[in-house]
Order: sequence, then structure tokens, then C-alpha cells
Amino acid sequence: MKVRFNVNGEAVEVEARTDEMLLDVLRREVALTSVRQTCGVGVCGTCTTLVDGEPFSTCIMLAPLAEGKKITTVEGLGGNHPVQDAFVEAMAFQCGYCTPGMILMVKSLLEEDPEPTEEKIRQYMGGNLCRCGCYAKIEDAVNLAASASKVAPSKGGA
Amino acid sequence: MTDMRVTGAVRYSQDVEMKGMLYAHLLRSPVAHARVLRVDVSAVPEGAVVLLPENVRDLGRYGPQIKDQEALPQERVRYSGDVVAAVAAETAEEAEEAVGLIDVEYEELPAVFEEVEAASEGAPLVHTTINISKNDAAYFGIRPQQGTNTCHLFRLRHGDVEVGFEEADVVVEETYHTAGATHAPMEPHAAVARWDGHQLEVTTGTQTPFNMRMDLAGLFGIEEEKVRIISPPMGGSFGAKTFVRTEAIAACLARKAERPVKVVLGRDEMWMTLNRHPATVRVKVGARSDGTLVASETECWANTGAYADCGPGVAQKMGFAAPGPYRIANVRVDSRAVYTNLPPNGAFRGYGQMQSTWARERTMDLLADKLEMDPLELRIKNLLKDGDNYCTGETMHDVHFERLLQGAVDAVGWSESRKNKGLCVMLKGMQTPSRAAIAVEAEDDGTYTVRCATTEMGQGAKMAMCMMAAELLSVDVEKVSCPDPDTDVVPYDTRTTSSRSTHMMGRALKVAIADLEENGERGYGEVVDEGGLDPDTGQGVASSHWHQGAAAAEVEVDEETGRFRVVKLHAPIYAGRVINRPAAELQNEGSMIMGLGIALFESNEFAEGQITNANLSDYNVPAMDDMPAALSHELVEREGGEVQGLGETALPPVPPAIGNALYSRGIHVTELPISAERVLDAVYARDGSGDAWAKASSEPISADGRNAHAGESILASGPTREPTPGNGTHSPSDQGLPGRVKPLLPSPSALLLLGTLGAGLLAIVLYRLLYRRVEAKKKSPSVPQALRR
Repeated sequence: MKVRFNVNGEAVEVEARTDEMLLDVLRREVALTSVRQTCGVGVCGTCTTLVDGEPFSTCIMLAPLAEGKKITTVEGLGGNHPVQDAFVEAMAFQCGYCTPGMILMVKSLLEEDPEPTEEKIRQYMGGNLCRCGCYAKIEDAVNLAASASKVAPSKGGA
Repeated sequence: MTDMRVTGAVRYSQDVEMKGMLYAHLLRSPVAHARVLRVDVSAVPEGAVVLLPENVRDLGRYGPQIKDQEALPQERVRYSGDVVAAVAAETAEEAEEAVGLIDVEYEELPAVFEEVEAASEGAPLVHTTINISKNDAAYFGIRPQQGTNTCHLFRLRHGDVEVGFEEADVVVEETYHTAGATHAPMEPHAAVARWDGHQLEVTTGTQTPFNMRMDLAGLFGIEEEKVRIISPPMGGSFGAKTFVRTEAIAACLARKAERPVKVVLGRDEMWMTLNRHPATVRVKVGARSDGTLVASETECWANTGAYADCGPGVAQKMGFAAPGPYRIANVRVDSRAVYTNLPPNGAFRGYGQMQSTWARERTMDLLADKLEMDPLELRIKNLLKDGDNYCTGETMHDVHFERLLQGAVDAVGWSESRKNKGLCVMLKGMQTPSRAAIAVEAEDDGTYTVRCATTEMGQGAKMAMCMMAAELLSVDVEKVSCPDPDTDVVPYDTRTTSSRSTHMMGRALKVAIADLEENGERGYGEVVDEGGLDPDTGQGVASSHWHQGAAAAEVEVDEETGRFRVVKLHAPIYAGRVINRPAAELQNEGSMIMGLGIALFESNEFAEGQITNANLSDYNVPAMDDMPAALSHELVEREGGEVQGLGETALPPVPPAIGNALYSRGIHVTELPISAERVLDAVYARDGSGDAWAKASSEPISADGRNAHAGESILASGPTREPTPGNGTHSPSDQGLPGRVKPLLPSPSALLLLGTLGAGLLAIVLYRLLYRRVEAKKKSPSVPQALRR
């Protein structure tokens, strides 16, 4: 079937099976390889994308449900979004595989709560796994991004 | 340009696409040990390429240390998950569907899963003969015990332990068990293979490009130069992506299909491919009444699963570092890699050190207790110092154990109070002997290209190479690049394992740059570390340089439920000289967090050899909200110190530090992971309350009545692991705290209902406790009578 949605500011129409997950469609049809599969059951956060601004695990979201939605992946953040800059400054990654999902989750967190406490950060980010164990530095990145956003409000990406 | 990791632009091997490429799916055995009587592929649609055992009958065997693997098993399958056949098709879905249409008939054979049992006489044999591999990963004396499941027996003999134990005033002995765990790299195993005539090219995220080349060349009976391995960055590895995993099958399918073939494993298949060795370790230590260690005896059984992989190497390292960083006059170690019908177990961050360190460092605390000594004082009294000889006979240099241990205890306030606190100190070998080579090319535009086989798995090796080269060349780091390893281009290197690359390659780089400065265009450098141990006496040079680490932990324990929390964790390690500080910190933090998962909840669960928790919902890895409130570490440097590998050092000390913190309250847990149930059992054992479950059943039912899965009750993040039903949303904003017992309002109208529910719950709890007891009995390692001295 045809599914139409907006991804990173661009309207697309893609071919998808009714039983396919959005993750597979974004990778195959839109070549967005920052969206990556790890667990396949919606518990690790690696495949997180923003759907109408809300973080979704695309490995368990049926592609047809994206119809008419606005989807954001890290490709849509431009490379110098305050959260991306904060991740680079804090060196909040090792292999980089989970990083796109982490960044989108942090973006969502800071939009919800621009000054999150340590407890809030750990709870909110608790669904995004990083097997390299970069959590301490990811927490630093959240705090850096939070203070950067206070100085210059987020450009917001897509 | 910003870092490719934040823009999502990194391309891993799973992202590689080639023209005309087919996608593979593997058919795996559901049973642990069986003869395959029939494979019926008549229902598979035409067009799909099916690889059957008969298609690979003419091929050789492979394996990095023991030549025990075939492209597809010919005679019998040896574990649940062993690959029976494979299909390549135009899409991954078509391949998967085709696999579902294959019918296989098995004749089940007796199987063995537990390592001590498998090593005993009369156990079903997993392999009838054991042949040592010619791969250069079989670099040490391997001692297979033909006619048994022991594919390697490593022995260390120093002094005379019998005499030593006679001299001892105090002797303690205990047997420990550590569960199998999985690496769980975020990126699964993925490989693309293609043939050009008789030339094979494989693109695969691997830590061992040259070992891979050797094994694949041997399998197909072609020259090594006819095989090209390209290794893109890995989305994590931790030892998983070593040696041949999916590459042999990808290459066989590509050969049959005459098209490129890609294999990407499903998450559940990761558990069926390679895990960490479950192990049983028995430790006996004797000391004089003043605390001087006089004898140490260790016996290790490393459960290597159905194929040896590098199990012999793991058993060797588990063995030679088992006595620990202490001066002991009489030492004996027997360490075995044992075949069982579990999925293969191989390299895992820490490489055997975690298992034997857990056993020894827990025993050191038992000894301190018996001697009525401070565990810190006991260790310091016996620690190796510069110039001392280790039990292998080698002289120790650049020794910092006391400094590390002191740093660890200071961080938890040891001198104020020892309650709830535990510590650990350990040493870990680096692969010896070992050879590294590197080339540096000066480009016309004033930039430099570093060519080496060191692979990138997130540890920052490439950046470290570029930084070291830039420093030696006195240029900006931006002027230096280090492309992905390609065996057609880079000089030979042993492999990117055992935290050796920055140390070995860094030295080779110095030689290469000196060479470059002489001839102007291309510099080549090579270093060789000699050494090695006699496998029958354990004498020689175990490690050309030793990784040194320590840890201290502080816990909070609820003795009513067994639930505990790690509130403080500190790990100092010796770093020599740090090249890239944030990257070095990440290695330490990552090792500690992985160690925390292993200590608290990571455990592969099997039923009749079949993995039962092969997903990241049932198998928990640490999340951000599992971090202790205070997690810290130290990179101890020394003026003029050598660059040290530090990718693993902070992992093995973590579980024993936590175990010993519990032991400060008399809670003696011998098995990893330290689940709440094990803590509770240890509390009952300490209090001499005999039948644990009888007492438990009299406890209020608010005791965690959920399943006995290790550590579940410790996790504060249960809710975030549950997929949100319905729309697949991942929003945590609506997270409550399900999975916790919530207080019920004492509404009068609900009293009757509550009574009924309460009785029901009580019945369930009683049933569960009884069931758990049976389960626990089944799980406890069966140590043969001979061991219970």
C-alpha cells in the first residue's frame, strides 16, 4: 500500500506492506539509516524517532500508522542542533549505534522539561539502552544541552 | 564537520548494500543434540537459494583454536541454535518464509549442559576427536584431553601446595558459579560476502580480520591472499565479533548463488551465536595466622559450549590470573575449557578474569574473616610489589596494586566503617606473545594515512591512532586519517582484542614514523612481544604487561526481601599514560556499568539447552536508571608511564567488590548474578534459620512475589523496558511504576474482596516459593563428590 507522511520536512509517498514496521520502511524506502534496529520489541530505544514530536519506537510501530504524520530523525536535525553539539562536547558516545535514538529522546526530554533533575533524566532516558555504557557522559550531555538551550533557545530542527 | 555518530551517518556492516545482493535467513536446530535424519526442502519456492549440509561437504573445518566447526554441521547438530540449513532470497522476508517451509527430522541424542558434569567421566561426548587449529589464534600450547569433553587443560604448578597447606594455620575453601551472559552489542552480527571468480570478499564488523581471513581460506581451500576482509566500524562488540560468526555461511551462500549475500542476525540469534562462558571455580587458600598467604589452589571449569571458539584461551587466562596479584609460595591451578551442548561461548570483555576474580576475591574475604583481619590489610600484606615474581615465574614491573586498592577504599570511606562495603583487586593478562604492524603514508597534500588492522568498535582506537601519530609527526590531528581495516591494504596484525591495540600499535607507530622520517613516503613499523607459558606447568611469561585494577562498592540491603542497591562504586585502574582522556574515561565507565549488570542481573537462562530469555525484555542490560548514585573511577598515571590498554580492566573487579560488600554483613553469595533470592537465601544461611523457604513463607506477602529472574527486583527501570501497548509509543511521560506492590486503600467495601485476594495471593506465593526452591536446586552446579573434600 501507499503511505504518505512528512519526514524531516519533506513530504514522501512510500510503498509499504500493511504488516511492516515503520523502522524497515524508513530504512528501505527513505534510506534513513540512522534509524536502527536492536531489540525489535520496543524496549531499547535505538530506533526512536519523533512522530508529531513524540518519541516512538519504530520497530513496533506499523508503517501505515505513519500516514499523515510528521516524522523527525537525526538526519533532520541538521548536525548542529544543541543536543547534537552537547553530545559531541561531552563525548557521550562510543560506537554511535544508539546515539541517534538517544539524541531524539533528549530533545524530547528537554522540550518537556528544560531543566530536568538527575532523577528525571535517569528515569526518562531509562528506556534507551547503550551497551557501551556511556550513561554518565550522556547525562552530562543532557545538562550541557539544557544550559545551552537556556542561552539560545533550541532551533528545533524539523 | 561534526561527529558522524551524532548525525547518524556511520555505516556499519549491516548498512552495506551491493548490486544484485540476496538476503539470508538461517534454519536453526530447536534441539540441543541430535542426528539430522532428513532435511526436506521440497516446499521451498523456486528462486530461493538453499544451502544444505551436502552442498558444503567438500569444504574443510575451521575454528580459531580448535578445528571443530563446519560451514553446516554434517553429522549432527550440537546445540539448540546450531545452523542446519540456510536460504538466500531477494528479500529478507522471502528468505525467512522459505526457511519456515523446510522440514527437518531429528533423532535426539543425550546432551550435557553443565561444565563440571560435562568434564566428568561418562558424560555424552560433544566431539569425538579434538584437533588443534592451525589458525594463529591457537598461539599457545593447547592440551585437548581426547575422549573427554575437555578441549583444553591448562596447568600451573609453583612450589608445592600440599606442603603449603600443611604450613597454613588457616585454610578456606569454596566453590563458585558464574552464569553465562551475552555481549548484546546494539548492532547485531552482520556480514556481506561476494565472490569474484576464486576470490572471496567479506565485509563484516570483526575484531579479527586476519584470523577471519585464515579460517575462511582454510575452509574453502584457497590461499589467504584470495580472501579479502573489510571491517567497517562495529555497533559494539565486547568480544562477540571475533573470529568466524556468520561469514562462512554468507560466503557459502554467495558461492552457490553466484551473487553477493548478506546475513544480518535477528536479536534472538545473538544468544545462539556466542555468549560468555558460564563457569564453576573452586578456590582453596591457606595462610599463616599473621595473614601471610602460603598456598593457593584453583580449579576452573569454563563451559565453552558446543564449539570451542577461543574457549581454550579463556580457560588459560582464567587460570593463570586466578591466584591474583599476591605473593604465594605454593600455587596450583587446573583450568579446563569444557564442551557442552550449549551455544558456543567465547571472548567477552574481561576474558575469563571476571569468573576467577569473583571466586578468588570472595575467598580472600572469607579468609580475612577467619583470620579476624581487615580484608584490606590482608590483601596489602600479600600484594605483589615491583620486582616480585608472580607464580608463573615472571618478574613484575610497574606494579601499582596497593595504590589502586587504597584509592578504591578511600572512595567508600573504608577507614570510618567497613559495614556494607567491599573491595577487590585484580590483575589481567594481555595476549602474549603478540605482534603488531602499522604503516604510515605521507600524502601529497601534507596529510598522513595510518594503515593498520586495528578495528573500531566504539573504543576510540582510530582516534587514538590518529592522536598518537599526530603527536609523533608534530602535526594537527585533522591531518591524520585511519581508514577501515582492509586485509588487502593493511599490514598483518594479531587482532583487536585483550586491550592490546593502543599499547602494541602505539609502539609500532613510533617505529613506523621513524622509518617514514628516513624515507619520506611510507614508514613501516612492527613490534613483537615474546613470551608465553608452558601449558603443563604455567611457567614462563603470561603477559608482557599486566592490566591492574581495583574496585570498592557500598551497598544498601533490605534483609527482609533480599533486595539491595549499590549506592557507591569506585574503580581505580592503572593507565600508565592516557592518550585520549574522555575516551579512556568511557572505557572505564563502560566496563564498570557492564560489570554492574553482570553482578546484579545478567544471566542466560536455558531449558534443556534452549535459551529462554533471548530478548532484551527478559534479559536485562543496565540502563541509565540502574546506575549507582555515585559511580566514579580513576585513571592512575605515572610520569613517563607506558600507554596501557584499558578496555576491560574495570569490569572484573566490580562483581567481587559488590559480593564482598554483602559479605561485610555476613551475606555470603557464591553465585553470579547476585539476585535478591540469592541474597535472601544467604541471609537465612547466615542466621541459621535452616529451611529458607519455610521462613520465607511466613514473611509478609509483599515480599517480591514476582518471578525469580535474577535481579529483577533491583531494577528501578522495569516500566521503561515494557513495550507500550497499542501505538508503539515510547513516551515515558505516562510511566507509572507498574511491577511494584502499591498500597491498597483500606476501604470497608473492599475488605471481603481483599480477604479473598489475599488468600489467593498467599497460595500463589507459597506455590512460587516451593517452585523456586525446586528450580534453585536444579540450577545449583552439581559439584562432584570428589570436590567436596
